Amino acid sequence: MEHIGAGLAALGVIGPGIGIGILTGASSEAIGRNPDAGGAIRTNMILGAALAEGLGILSFVLGILLWTRIGG
Amino acid sequence: MCVERSVSSDLGAMTGPSDAAPPPAGEGSTGPGGERGRTRRTAIWLLGAVVVLDIVAFLVIPPFPKGEPGKPVTGIADLITANLELPAPHVVWDFAPNDPVAPGAIVFNHASISSPIFTTWLVMVVVLAIVFMWTRRMTMVPGSRQNILEFAYESLENWAISLGGPGVARHVPLFASFFLFILLSNWSGLLPIFGRFEELRAPTSDVNVTIGLALVVFVYYNYQGFRALGVRGYLGKFFVLSGFRQGLGAGLIDLFVGLIEFMLEFIKPVTLSMRLFGNIFGGEVALGVITALTIALLPALMLSLELLLNFVQALIFSTLMLIYTIIAIEAPHAEEHPRDDLVEAPQAGQAADHGAGIAGATAGATR
Repeated sequence: MEHIGAGLAALGVIGPGIGIGILTGASSEAIGRNPDAGGAIRTNMILGAALAEGLGILSFVLGILLWTRIGG
Repeated sequence: MCVERSVSSDLGAMTGPSDAAPPPAGEGSTGPGGERGRTRRTAIWLLGAVVVLDIVAFLVIPPFPKGEPGKPVTGIADLITANLELPAPHVVWDFAPNDPVAPGAIVFNHASISSPIFTTWLVMVVVLAIVFMWTRRMTMVPGSRQNILEFAYESLENWAISLGGPGVARHVPLFASFFLFILLSNWSGLLPIFGRFEELRAPTSDVNVTIGLALVVFVYYNYQGFRALGVRGYLGKFFVLSGFRQGLGAGLIDLFVGLIEFMLEFIKPVTLSMRLFGNIFGGEVALGVITALTIALLPALMLSLELLLNFVQALIFSTLMLIYTIIAIEAPHAEEHPRDDLVEAPQAGQAADHGAGIAGATAGATR
């Protein structure tokens, strides 16, 4: 049962994956339209990706916690 | 001459890697076409040699399940776990052997030196040695070593200033040291000897180290917030009572939003530490699994990807530290009548001041 739980917890990475994809696509488009603002857009993109990724990492850590309980 | 060389290099590129023309012997063997073909052939030889070495190593020293040399592997799970390390830090020197750690515990308080601590010291020694030795005899026109450090520091300073304006220049030293330390810690885990000796392990792949770093960040930006805004100003960002002047409903909403922001303050160090730990540890797990399952070429590609990702993680951690500091020291946005706030806050903010009286007194004394 804990194996299933660990797997389900790791599924939480899907959401941030989609979010980072949307974020990167939109910011690439924005840089393409306005290359002069590239620096600011890139900074915001990295920060947003970091924040979105943090949530995925939380589920990943939860999965690891369950996994180490399985391993003893 | 020039035309000839470029043409020959184009021809060399078109003929492909397998049958690149050998460099003409009489030409001094420095033409770009010949050099490119030779580089490519060397690369192919190296690739072949790595594959052969991998197979030979597989035959000479067959893989074994973790901790049991000599036994044959029974399945793919053995191959994977042989390359994994558990998130719990490995205790190398135990100072209290009578009081053993619970198996599987990740965060514990135990008198011992674990492998991440030892590697942290190594990384610190490397950083300090580089910084001290390369800044001896600084000159106005920098030499190559001084130039490297100046480039690193100036890039970080420009990055910081592009985020928060010239006012953040005083936070750049901590920002830069966080960046350099985390960068070298992350990259140290990619060295081949790491994971082969029990004393060596990338410090940031241990959750204890990242929690420690995040707590330093937490204390730092809260201290800077108190220092910049004063006790009343900084706590006033979270316990908002000025909204009651517009009526009960608006006041309650402001209070509620402020309380949510107050709770978010305590989420910040958690996500900060878990992000760094999860990325670095996850990267090492992925590297281990890929290494166990494939032959040496794919792990090499993975390694270069990890090199980039670890750099980005170091940048993200230190940048978030800077951003949190900038958020903490910026004045609350209800700035149309700051005088009224200052006058009114003692009566309205009694509840808030009450709880924070002691912290307020100390922070006020240092101000």
